Parts: sequence; C-alpha cells; structure tokens
Amino acid sequence: MLAPLSWLKEYIDVTLESNKLGDRLTEVGLGTEKITKDKDDIIFELEITPNRPDLLSIIGVAREVAAMEGKKIKYPKAIVDIKNVKPKKVLPLKIQTDHTINPRFTGMIIDGIKVKESPQWLAERLIKIGQRPINNIVDITNYVMFELGNPLHAFDYDKIEGHVLKVHQTKGGEEFKSVDGVSYHLPKNAVVISDSQNLIDLCGIKGGENSGTFEETKTIFIRVPVEVPNLIRRSSQALGLRSEASAIFERGVNAGGTIDALQRCVDLVLQIAGGEIASQLYDIKKEEFEPWKLSVQTNRLGKILGIEIPKQKAVSILESLNLKPIARKDEIECTIPTYRNDLKIEEDLIEEIARLYGYNKFPKIIPGGEIPTKTIPYFKDYRLEEKVKNLLKASGFSEIYSYSLVSEKALLALDINPEKTLRVDNPVSIEFEYLRPTLKIGLRNGLLQNKPNFEEINLFELGKVYLGEDLDKAKEAYFLSGISNSKSFVEIKGVLENLLEELGVKQDPSKNIEATEEGVLFEVNLSEVLEKLSPRKKYLSIPKYPPIIEDLSIEINPKIKYGAIVNVIAAQSKLVNKVELLDEYRNKKTFRITYLSRERNLTNEDISPIREKIIKAMKANFKATQI
Amino acid sequence: MEHELLKVKNDASSLIIAAEDEKELNEIKLDFLGRNGKLTQLLKRMKDLPEERKPEIGRLANEIISTVEDLLATRGEELRGEKKEKIKRAVEDITIPGVKPSLGHLHPMSQVLFDVIDVFKGLGFQAADGPEIETDRYNFEILNFPKDHPARDTQQTLFLDTRKSKATSGETILRTHTSTMQGRIMEKIKPPFRVIVPGKVFRYEQTDASHGFEFWQFEGYAVDKNITFTNLMGTLDYFVRKFFGEETKIKFTSHNFPFTEPSLEGYVSCVVCKGKGCSFCKQSGWVEVLGGGMIHPNVLRNVGIDPAEWQGFAFGTGLSRLVILKYQMDDLRLLTNPDLRILEQF
Repeated sequence: MLAPLSWLKEYIDVTLESNKLGDRLTEVGLGTEKITKDKDDIIFELEITPNRPDLLSIIGVAREVAAMEGKKIKYPKAIVDIKNVKPKKVLPLKIQTDHTINPRFTGMIIDGIKVKESPQWLAERLIKIGQRPINNIVDITNYVMFELGNPLHAFDYDKIEGHVLKVHQTKGGEEFKSVDGVSYHLPKNAVVISDSQNLIDLCGIKGGENSGTFEETKTIFIRVPVEVPNLIRRSSQALGLRSEASAIFERGVNAGGTIDALQRCVDLVLQIAGGEIASQLYDIKKEEFEPWKLSVQTNRLGKILGIEIPKQKAVSILESLNLKPIARKDEIECTIPTYRNDLKIEEDLIEEIARLYGYNKFPKIIPGGEIPTKTIPYFKDYRLEEKVKNLLKASGFSEIYSYSLVSEKALLALDINPEKTLRVDNPVSIEFEYLRPTLKIGLRNGLLQNKPNFEEINLFELGKVYLGEDLDKAKEAYFLSGISNSKSFVEIKGVLENLLEELGVKQDPSKNIEATEEGVLFEVNLSEVLEKLSPRKKYLSIPKYPPIIEDLSIEINPKIKYGAIVNVIAAQSKLVNKVELLDEYRNKKTFRITYLSRERNLTNEDISPIREKIIKAMKANFKATQI
Repeated sequence: MEHELLKVKNDASSLIIAAEDEKELNEIKLDFLGRNGKLTQLLKRMKDLPEERKPEIGRLANEIISTVEDLLATRGEELRGEKKEKIKRAVEDITIPGVKPSLGHLHPMSQVLFDVIDVFKGLGFQAADGPEIETDRYNFEILNFPKDHPARDTQQTLFLDTRKSKATSGETILRTHTSTMQGRIMEKIKPPFRVIVPGKVFRYEQTDASHGFEFWQFEGYAVDKNITFTNLMGTLDYFVRKFFGEETKIKFTSHNFPFTEPSLEGYVSCVVCKGKGCSFCKQSGWVEVLGGGMIHPNVLRNVGIDPAEWQGFAFGTGLSRLVILKYQMDDLRLLTNPDLRILEQF
C-alpha cells in the first residue's frame, strides 16, 4: 500500500518528521517498508496485514495516524444529499440480486456526463500511488476506492442491454472479456452480472469490456457492492487474476461504507464530469450492517498482557480509535465501526490497547512458576543427534545440509524409480519435484562439487528421507549417510562401529557401506538404530581374576568369513570373553582368545575342555584343523 | 681359565658399547654379573683351580669385574644423557606445527540449532520433532487459518501428489511452518508445558538470497495459568541476548498472525553495526527476526484447552535466518552449498 504524505494531510495534521512517522507506523502494525521522496512529496510504502482491509485506503491509514497522535480526522464533505435526492428524470433499471452471493448492492445512475481526461490533481494522485490514469470516470471510481476503501464500478448505462442487471453465479466455462481487453474462461460459481443478453461484469475482480466507460459514454451506473470474501477469492485464484478491488473484498470490505463511497463518487463525478443524477438511490441489502458492541474485561486485560494499564488510559486509547468506549465497573464496552471488521473478540481489543500503549513500554519478564517436567509427546533428545554428529566430525567428516526435494534425473541416476517416490504436485521447478528417499544424492553432488579444490573429501549428512511409494505408505525417517574418496571400506566400517558402540547398539554396519566409482558411501537408518538404543549404561565391576590368553592357529579355507569363525569360537563357552584375529597368511589364521571368569580364578583344567570344543567346532563347521 | 675370562670381558664390553638403552644395559648386566651370569659362573669354577694359580686368576677376575662395572656405569650415564638430549630436542622449536588427527566440521546450522536448544533448555523448554508431510488441518485449520482466507497467501504451499493413495488432493502438504506442532502436541497433553520445535519447512517460493522453498524454522510455546504477553517479551529478550550476545537489544512492533492475538514482531539491533546503521540492516540499525503473540483462543479451543483457564504464548523464527545473522552471511543459499571452503570455516 502506497500512501503519499500530501494525501494523508488532507484528512489529518501530520506533525511528525517522516522517518519518525514511519517508525511509529511500524510499531503500531503498519510495517513501513520504504519511505521515498517524490518531488515535494513523501511516499510511504506500507505492508498491510491480511486482517486489516481498512488500511488499504488512505483514510484508513490517516485514522491510524490520528489514533497514534490523538487527533481527529476530517472526512470529505458531502455535497449532494444522495439519500434524499429528487431526480428530474428517472432512467429505468431493473436489478435482480441474491443476498447469499451479493450481500449489498448500492448504486445510482448519472446522466449527461462528459468523459475526458482527469484534472491534473486527480491524475497526479493516482500516478503517485502507482495507478495509470484512464479517463475521468474510471479515475474517480479508482480514486474513491483508494481514498475510502470501498471498490466501485461504473457501467455505461446505454450498453446495459434491456436495462437489466442480474447478479448470479457462473456454470463454468463462460467467456468473459475484461475492460482491459483480456479474455478469460470463467470458473464455476464465480459471481457475475449479466444484462438481458450478455455477461458484463466479473464481480469484485474486473469489469467487462462490453459495459465499460469510454469516450462516447454519456450515462453511467455506479455500483458499490459488498461481496462474499471466499467467493471472490476462489474465482480470483482460479483465474490467477487479482486486482486492488479483489484484495479488499477477499479480506472483507467495509459493509457499512457503500453509501459514503457512492456519495463521494457522485460528488466528484458531478464536479468533474458534469451531468445529473438520474435515478433513486439503490441500496439492496441483506441486513442493516450496523456497528456492533464488544467489551473487554479490565482484569482480563491485565491478565493477558501482564501489566496494569490504567483504565483511564485504556479508555482514551479506545476513544482515539473511534471505538466509542463506555467504562463500566469491570469492563469497557465499545461500539465497533463497520470498517473495523477485524475486531471480533475480546483479545482483539486487548491488542488494540496494547499496540497503541506501545509494545516497547512493556517490561520484559521471564515466565515464573514451576517448570513442567512431564515429557511431552513428540519429544526428541537432541543430545543424541549432537553426539552422532560430533563423532562423525571427530572421524574427519564434514557436515552438509541438502535439499529434501530432488529431481527425477537425480533419482534415475541412482536407479530409483520415480513412480515409487513421493512427489510434489506443484514443484517450484522440475529440479525440486520429488521427496528424497536417500541422502546419497546430496552427498554425491557434494563430492563432485568439491573435487576441483580438494583431494580428500569426507562428507556426511544427518537428515530426513521420505520412504514409501505412495502417501498411504509414506514414512519419514532420519538417515545418517556419508561419502568419502579417501577412506577405505574398513575405515568407514570402523567409524560406524565406533558410532554404534557409542550408542550401545549391537548391529553389523557392513551392509550399510557401498563402494562406488566416486568413493565409499554409507547410509544408516538412524531412526531405526535409535529405537534399539540402550540409553542407560550400567557399571560392570573390573574383573577380579586374571584372564587366560591363548593363541590358536588353524588352517582354514580362506573364503570363510572372519566374522563366522569368531562367532563359532565365541559360542563354545561363556568363558570366552574376546576373540581377535592376530595374523593371517593364505590359508592360515591365528586367533587370540581371552578367557575370563568374574567368579573365580581360571586354571588349565577349565580351559582345556573348551579348547577341545573349539577345535572340534572348527573342524565340524569349517573343516579347519589346528596347526 | 684366563683365556675364558678375557673372552667374557671382551664380549661384555662390546655388548655394553653397542647397547641402545638402559633396559638393554640392564639385561647385559644380569647376563654377566647376575646370580647365573657368565662371569659369576666362571668365578664359581675358581675353587677347582690349583692353589698357586688362585691369587693370580683372582686378581684378573676382580679387575675384569670392575672394568665391566665401570663400562656399565659409563655407558649408563651416556645413555641417560642421550635421552635427555632427545627430549630436549623435541621441544626445542615449539613453533613447529603439531600433527593434527583429521577433524571434520559441523554445519553452522547444527551449531546454531544446538545453541538454541541449549538456551531454551535453561528456561525449561523441551524439544520436539514432528512430520514434514502434513495435513491441511494441522498446518492451517487448527491454527485459525480458515479455508479460502487471505492469510494463507502469506504461506504459499507445496501440495503432495495424492494419486495412488487414499488422501484427498490438496489436503496433504509439506508443512509451511513448524507451528503444526502446536496442534499435534497440545491436543495430546494438558497444560502446563513449554515446548520448542526446530525443523525444516517448505514454501512455494522462488529462491533468491533471502528466500527459499526449503528452510529451517524454530517454534516455541508455553501454556500455563498465568503466562503473559510480557513473559513472551521477556523470553525473547533473554533468548536474543544469550544467542547474539549480552549487548544485543530487542524491540517489538505490532503485527497480525491468525494464530496469535495480540501479536508482535521482534527486531534485534544489527549484529554487524551494533545498531548504528549499515548496508546489512539497510541503514535501520535493526533486523527483523521473530514473530509471536498470545496463543489465539480459537487455537486453544481447537485442541481442547479452555482459554478461560489457560493462556500462553507462541513464537517462531527462521533458524536459517539466525545462522545467516550470527555469521554475517549474505545469502541463504550458502547453507545448502556443500562447498568445503564454506564448511571448513565453522
């Protein structure tokens, strides 16, 4: 929203220096994004939050300044009394409308106007707020919308076939050519106006070319409507077509403001384009749209804010906002003007008081009371993650963060079927269309990207992957993955073994490691690992009795895996405490076996039967013989 | 006998001279002079000699013993000296670079994440983690963003492909904020509670230096009988001072979010110029970092908490943005760039 200082000054005395005014506006909620000089004027660029359609008008901004500064607004004075006008001639017009799709329809006919260029002051104001002047009638309707916040539309009365205006919803697929010459196919349920022949207006969004005001126009019908926000929003979204008017209607227009807007518009038209009123005032409405009552309990005000704002002060703030406060014993009752349709509950009034009191006058107090100790649902112990990451770091790996969204090409490069991968319907680009089922994509990219600058590259990522081939089977899991072009399979395995040991999880990581052309990759489903976590370590007393250590050399088929042999040896007795591979050469392997008892001293008599058992088992399982 | 004595002496002296350390020297000593040593054994045979030869051989034997002992002592001292020399040499030039075991780097996002969790842990907040694939209900409905409401425009959404599944099109999305975890947690637990939720969020947004379609946020909320707006301000003030440094200032402005009322935005004094005004803060001296407010009564009602009895605050901030600010980086995309020349700085 652009607000020129000169225009604001028409309704309110602004005494604050413009940077200060910008800061104050930001503080009360009108984020001042930019203040620019424009010849002898200053333009404020304001970010308006979706709850405040009233601030999409200069008067609305002026009202905020008035509240901040404790001043009064000067509204534009009415010239012709449109409510009690007695037109010399009355032109025929039949209006058929429906309150459920058009809660209020206010309008009037003006005959004998002259369409021409706008006067300089009007054209300049519109240019300042980024609008292109078109002709005096279109410009006046635009001007009044930006001034007061109620969108208006002027129809060429003579182009309304049969002098009938019928508000209805579309069936879908109707063709519509807007006043700026663009054709659209309308979606279903869009609110439109037809005359006896054609569709002539896309309500709340754009007027039609076939009923627009051009040079030859002599008579106009001005319509000031109240539209249903979500109906306007749906059509606007379906068409990808937005306008200043649709932005206001979506947020909720000032339903009590249609007559004032029409009044202002008629006054300006008569003044600038001439002509005379040629109809009664049309005002077809679902209800009266009157101000409503809203109260704030004084004790609740203090309880929510955490400070005591004196009742007097609260009342004066509400007064400055034109909310007509009446202080009672325990509450303040307000009457909310129709342009403030964001004020619906008590908390809304509490916010009004707080923001104008000044957020930066509040003390800053840490919450007191007892700290809740019950473990919350979805609790995550981030210390584990920290431990895992630090261990990888200590093992020489650097951490990367990569995107969860990946391309089809990247999936295919890893032989992953995109058809069985979760997908986004409206990706920002085809580069980011699928949810990654692996972290390998980012790691491979990382390796390739670093190759020109580094010889040794070790990267890891701990991040979410998205498993399951469709949404019904979707499952999110944390994977821990890495890539290295300088560490060997056994070195990576050692890192993972360290990690699992540190977490107290018994698991063989061999299958998680894969040697590829670029380097060694690993990928572990960390979520699964952490489920097996044994969090509490228990002290085991230092052995009181010395171990017996023996070496065993065997001849064995070299294809038999080390792991299998160790498992068989260890399975022969509970006294076998540790088995290590000391040496291997061709078909000979030497193992060092440590026997340990926590209850007593071991003797050769304890060990020799076990030794025999081991040798027998070696023979039986592997056809191995002792050397 | 005489001949044998001399041979033993020669053997001993050559071994002593060749000895490399004190341990070896000690072994040599035992080997020759010990109870079963070669010299000792020889001397035991003295008693078998004829009487007239005894004095002469005895003298020679004593001489040899003392020579070997002298040699042992001298070499011993030499060796001890060499060792000292060696130790000395090692620390002579302490400016020689150390030999480092290889060490990787934690991503700045992780470092900031752990810092943030740490600060809030001190205030009694527990960390939670939840799904990124979400429903419209948790992302919007519960949080007082009705369907077809313009507030949804502030969070453009990525929708998931629902073909081949029972999900309704448009209802399953990638979460646009971590506030989804307000509904998920609050509907399962009774107050009081204090929660923080870090996590990744997604928006339908074109990428540039300060926007991305994927970024990290972190959400915090607390509900109790008497949690107030000033408590929110106090908590945020404490956080920014702990996180950015004690001298950091915070200021608040009014704002609107559908799920809080009243709402605020928090700005911190620029980390680069300390509030004087620079290009980083667009000369304003302040940078916007936070949004928050008192949890809207509709949200509490939606999760089955009575707003007349309980009240609380909620806030959120871009974790990615905190990283950028803390390390004065100029582009959000640096955080997803795997270039080790970036990573090695942290």
